[in-house]
Formats: sequence, C-alpha cells, structure tokens
Amino acid sequence: MFRLEFIIKKIGQVIVTLFGVATFNFLLFRILPGDPIRLLARAGRLSSEAIERLRVVFGLDKPLPVQYLIYLTNLWRGEFGTSMTYRRPVVDILSERISNTLLLLAAATVIVVVIGVGAGMIAAARRGTKLDRSLVVTSLVFWSLPTFWTGLILVIILGVYLKSFPISGISTPGMDFNSWFSKAWDIGKHLTLPTITLAIVDMGQFMLITRSTLVDVLTEDYILTAKAKGLPFKKILWRHGVPNALLPIITTTALYVSLVIGGAIQVETIFSWPGMGRLMYDAVLRRDYPILEASFLLFAATMILANFLSDLSFSN
Amino acid sequence: MKAYARMLPWFLVLSFILTACGGAQTTSSTQVAVSETPVEPQSNAGKEAILRVGWASEPDTMNPLTSYSSESLEVTSLIYDKLLGYDLNFKTQPELAQEFNYSEDGLTIIYKLREGVKWQDGQDFSAEDAAYTFNLIKDNELGQYAQWLSNMVSAIAEDPTTFVVTFDKPQAFNPGLAIPILPKHIWESMSAEEIETFPNDKPIGTGPYKFVDWQVGTTLTIERYDEFWGDKPAADKIVYILYGNEDVMAQALKSGDIDIITEVPPTIWDGLADAKNVKAVSLPSFSFHHIGINVSEDENSPGNPLLKDKAVRQALSYALDRNQLVEVALAGHGKPGDSILPIGITDWYLKIPADKQMNANPEKAQQILEEAGYKDANGDGIREDAAGNPLEFRLIAIETTSVDVRAAQLFRDSAAAVGIKLDLQTLDENTLGELVYNVDNPDWDIFVWGWDSGVVDPNYMLGVPLCDQIGGNNDIFYCNEEYDALYEKQATTIDVAARKELVNQMQLMFYDDAAYLVMWYQDKLQAYRTDTWSGWTEIPGGLIYNLTRENYLRITPVK
Repeated sequence: MFRLEFIIKKIGQVIVTLFGVATFNFLLFRILPGDPIRLLARAGRLSSEAIERLRVVFGLDKPLPVQYLIYLTNLWRGEFGTSMTYRRPVVDILSERISNTLLLLAAATVIVVVIGVGAGMIAAARRGTKLDRSLVVTSLVFWSLPTFWTGLILVIILGVYLKSFPISGISTPGMDFNSWFSKAWDIGKHLTLPTITLAIVDMGQFMLITRSTLVDVLTEDYILTAKAKGLPFKKILWRHGVPNALLPIITTTALYVSLVIGGAIQVETIFSWPGMGRLMYDAVLRRDYPILEASFLLFAATMILANFLSDLSFSN
Repeated sequence: MKAYARMLPWFLVLSFILTACGGAQTTSSTQVAVSETPVEPQSNAGKEAILRVGWASEPDTMNPLTSYSSESLEVTSLIYDKLLGYDLNFKTQPELAQEFNYSEDGLTIIYKLREGVKWQDGQDFSAEDAAYTFNLIKDNELGQYAQWLSNMVSAIAEDPTTFVVTFDKPQAFNPGLAIPILPKHIWESMSAEEIETFPNDKPIGTGPYKFVDWQVGTTLTIERYDEFWGDKPAADKIVYILYGNEDVMAQALKSGDIDIITEVPPTIWDGLADAKNVKAVSLPSFSFHHIGINVSEDENSPGNPLLKDKAVRQALSYALDRNQLVEVALAGHGKPGDSILPIGITDWYLKIPADKQMNANPEKAQQILEEAGYKDANGDGIREDAAGNPLEFRLIAIETTSVDVRAAQLFRDSAAAVGIKLDLQTLDENTLGELVYNVDNPDWDIFVWGWDSGVVDPNYMLGVPLCDQIGGNNDIFYCNEEYDALYEKQATTIDVAARKELVNQMQLMFYDDAAYLVMWYQDKLQAYRTDTWSGWTEIPGGLIYNLTRENYLRITPVK
C-alpha cells in the first residue's frame, strides 16, 4: 500500500513538473529578445501585408495569454504546431531526428557505463597499485578533454589519415542497400566516431565514481566481517561490494542521460549526425518557437522520466 | 595475486574494446572497400556520374514562395525554370521564354514561350502556368518575389505560348529573371494561408534536374530530367551533403568524399590552397558588410541625435581604415568598400573617385570635427559639441560573425584616435535585428551587419534606404527625397546607359551622406576537386551558389 501511495505521489510530482516546464518553455523563448518573423522579412524584403499574414498563420498576432491558452490546449491534444522555418509539422521533424539522437546516445551510454564501471571496479579492487593510479590519471585526462576538440582530432586521425571510418553523416550518400544487414553495417561505421568521442569524454566520470564508491564500501565493517569469515576476495567483491556501490551509479546513469544531451549536441555538429542537436541550435538562432518548445519539452520529459525511474528503483 | 588473475579477463576485454577502436584501421579500411562494392544495386551503377556538393547548412523548405535560404534557392533554381536566366557573363538568356519584347510605352512585356515543354510529372507546360504564378505572387504578396511585381497590373496568357505582363510604370528590371514558374495544376487548389505552410516535399518543375529525395539533416539528391528542353547536363545526379562543421567539410573535400564546397571562411580556405587535387578559388561576391548609422529624424528616436550631423558621420568614415579591415578581419580576402552596390555587380558598381573617397584619413576626420565645432574641452580625449554633449556612441555587432566583431574593434580604435568614443556590445543576429528594426523605438546608435544582393540588378540594394522602406528593410531610417526621386526614375528607365547615369548619381549621393560606411566587399571563397569534374568557369558570385546555374550545366566528368 505504501509503495502504491509513493508511486501516485511521484506521478503527481511528474505531472506538475511537466506543466511547469511547458509554461517555462513558452515564456522563455518569448521573453528572449528577437522576433522570428523579422529576419525572414529582411531576407525576403516582405511587404507589411505578407508579414501580417505570417503572424496570423503562426498565431503570433494574438496577445500572449491567448497564445499561451492555445499552446496548452494544443499540447493537451498532442499537437506541437508547424515549424516557422521548415513549414512542416513539428512532430514529423522531431520524429525523424529523435531516433538518430537516441541511437547515438544509447550506443554511447552502454559503452560509457560498461567500460567506466568496469574500469572503476578494477581500480577499486586493485586500489593503490600502479594499475589503479594509471586508470585514475587516464580517467581524469579523458574527463577534461573538450568534446569538440576530441571529435576533431578523431576526424583527422581516424577519418582523414587512416580512413578507417567515415567522418560525417549517418549513412553513405547516394548508396542503395540490398539488405538490412549492409544498411546496418553502414550506419554502424558512421556511428563509430561520434560514439567514441562521446564515450571517451564521459567514461572517466563513471570510472571515478564507481571507484570511489566501491573503495568506500570495501572499507566498511561488513566487508571486514566477510573477510574474517574467510570468503574469497572475488565473492566479497561481487556479493557484498558491488551491490552496495550500485546506488550512486544508478543515480549517475539517470543524470547522465540528461547531461549527455549537451555533449551530444556538440558531437552531432562535428560529425554532421542528423539528430536533435543541430536542429535545436538552428531553431534557437531562428527563434523557431514551435520546434524549440517541443524539443525542450521532450528533453525535460526524458530527464524527469529518468529521475522518476531512478526514484522507483530506490523505493525498494 | 589470485584476485588479479581473476580480473585479468575483464581487463583483456576492456583493452580489446579500446584497441579495437584504434587498432582495427588496416583491416577496416579493406572492409570498407569490400563492403561497398556489393551493395551497389546494378553493375552499371558505378558509371553514374554524381556531383557531390558539400554545404554547411540546409535548405529551409522546397517551397520557393516561403523559402529564405540560399541553399533552398540553389536547389529550386535547378528544379524550376524562370522565364529568363543569366548566362556566365550575367547577360540575359532564354529559359522558358525564348524571347521577350517591351511595348512602345515600356509598360508591357510580351514573352514568347517555348513549345512542347513538359512538367516533370508529364503534364504540359503553357503560358497559363506563368500567368498563374505571377498572379498568385502579386495578389497574395507571397514571399520574396512579391517585391518584383509591386507595379504589376495584369498577367495574361494570350495563347499557350504568349504571356503578357503589364505594369503601371516601365520596369527597368525584368521580373522574368527572378520568378520561378510553378505548375498551376499542383498549386491552384491551395489558399495563400495553405501555401505559407506548404512544405512542397516533392517539387515538380520544368528545370534540368528533378527532385529525388531529401534526408533531412544529411543529404539532398536531385537527378537529371531527361525531358528537359535544353542541353542535357553531364551529371546524372547531384547530391548535396550537409556538414555540421566547416573544418570537417574541408577535410572531406581533401579526402575526396565531395567534389565542391559552397563557401568556407578565410582560415579554412587558406588550408585548402595547397591541397592535392584541390583548387581553391577566391571570387568577387554580391555581398558587403557595412557600418550602419541611426539617422532617424523621428523626435522620439532614442538614437544619439549627434549622428544626424553629417559632419560627424563623415568624420567616422574618414577615420575608418578599410584597407586595414580587409587585411586584418578578412585576412585579405576582399576589397575595401565604398558604394552601396557590391563590387561583383560589375555592370553597375561605381568605384567612388579618389577625390571623393573618405577612407583612412584621420587628419581629415579631425579637421572636419574641428570645423564643425566639436572640441575636447574637458581634456578627457572625447570631443564634445558646444553644449558639452560628448561624441560617445553605442556600437553593436553580431557575436557569431567573427569578422564583424573584429572589424568593430578596429573601428572603435580608429574612432578613438580622432576623439570619438564607441562602446561595443555584441548580440546574436536575431536580437540585433529586432533592435535595429524597431521602428517605434530604435534604441541604438551604430551597428555592424551585412547585405547580399539577391539579383545582379541595382534595384535591390539601392532600394534599401528608401523612405518608404522605413518599417521595411531600411535599417538606418535614412530618408532623402532627392534619393527617392532618383530611385523611382532609374527603376523606370529602360535605356541602360541613361539608367546607369542615374544609378551612379545615387551611389555618389548615398556615399557622401555617410549613413552607411561600407567596410568591404568580401570574396566568395570556394574550392573544388580537379580530378573528378572539370569545366568550372570562375565568375563573380562563385562557381555555384550564384545567381546563374550555368556552371552546373556545363561541367563534365574527368575521364
């Protein structure tokens, strides 16, 4: 019963937060100086009638509270409007992009968590050795690498000099694929460099967090007890050490999902990966309100959901 | 010891993964070569001649009436024809109209259209389509083309090959050179509001290339239209590839992934200059960057009223060292600016004569300020007027346009040397645009920005500082009735020599008023591979991304 109550309470919080985010998104982009129609008008030398019709088409002619009500009603119905730049429904544009970003993030997250946590465990188990020290130093170096720089270096070394991997896009332009496998293979090759870039920069923090938590856990009294019972170190590590060190790692992973988006935007720019990053960057510059509102809401929802799930996993 | 041994497999796996990323180069490059051959669908596919163009930003939409990006224009101008086009010398040549004639009074243009032209969906093209397009744009003020039809009275298809357009004033600029002809049978069911949100995902035109697909965020592909009325171009397909980063785009050109790139900044261009099998070209453009001065006559204008004094503006112009701007900010890739018409519009650009040039002459600037009564009475290094108001102005520039920010800094230093203080602030383009164009409250003094001329005709650029463009495109609130009268006259003078006389007069007048300090005409910096396609003609405006599509139609594959 307590658990159900907890979940209902959490869901209530999620809804309130989402509503807050939606409102904030609406206001934020409208408070920002800059008018989405003005630069269009400059580029196209539009007449005042044409500008007026554009405002009507995009609902910008109405007072702000009315715009807000329309925005909320549309959100409730699942309508995100039409992009001012691309003149296509925002839902179509986002659905094309979001899956590409998810693919990149999923690949990077798996690698980051597996390698980062694995290396952290090794370092903690071999605490104080040369191996430990070199892993810590490597992690610190990787963690402090700028994403953009790392990406460009990989482009030059692996892409241009060694020609091991393609340096841009998601698949080879102009290519027709005769099987599902050859298409996946092509996408996989294109995915390699962006994933490595994201992983290199981000796995350091996972390694360090895992290591420090595990080191803490391994100095606990119950570990000493386990040792005193004569358990082999492997068993102590896996049965008593790792499970207790997992909680902070889960929280970090949940937070990582939201933090990695920032890195993903940069990586997508370097490798011309057709994801959300470039879309949002352009949308900010052009003040494309419908795209901005929908994509920020989407990211906020992802973050809230990730935190909700990590909360649930704690409630056991 | 034992624990270490147990961890060893883990470590091996880890190091394997790490080295696999870096160590597999030799094998993977052969894998690449092997895996790409079998996926080609037919055996003859390898012979397809594809031109691969790298660009750093994408089109907005394929709808020519709602598009504002040069990328979109680049593609749609290959899909759609106009009535007339430009050849490689920017002389008028036929597209859908084989010939055209002006009526005696100059008010009517009669276009004789081609016979037997087919839309890319198989329907017949006729003068009805042209009439529909002109009327649609005129009646609804749709998009950027409406400016060319503001004086249009009627557009009528007299018979399938005769198209007659009448204006209430003679038109020096032939709108047939600007307006893409749309298929009536596809567009006529839509209202103006529907057209505003019509993405035109599958554009159908009469041009040399037809649309294949657009993978948003990656590539856009067009292929040759075999029923095209003119000579068939050599490229079977043109693929435009998006790069998120210009450095990576330049690398892709070097490594042979693409054949030509649209435009790159000077630093990257320099890196391409000595690359193997790559030719980097620097061509005059139809663009300039300028310093704009708020000269609003409105009493409530929050702009600094001292800038309404022509002497102050001229002093700023004399103080500015445009040669230094080109050398430092543009790394030499441009020409010092003077006239409001870009230097690439060679037929109309007027080089301001040496005795009228206001450039890099701080002594003259000081002298003008002295004579106009601006003296530094309180010894703080800034001159004041008789009432003690200091010559101190706000200067704004776009933070992401690094050349402008650099130029603004140099301008600030040059102005300080003659006793004028400028306070530089950088903004993003949209914010700057809203501030500058705020008709009710133009709360700024001086900006740095730029213009691209959409046509090789003086009308577009000369038309910016007109009185009736205040609230429209007039970014400095300049209003000079004499200038307006000359504009009206040149826009309706069909005789080229007579028009040229008027256009020169306007360029001199506007230069002398010093409300625009044109800093430079930047070069268009492009590069292409010499081992894949040949026959590129170097012309003002660029090999591609230009107002003529001829280069696309004339290149041939290197054997």
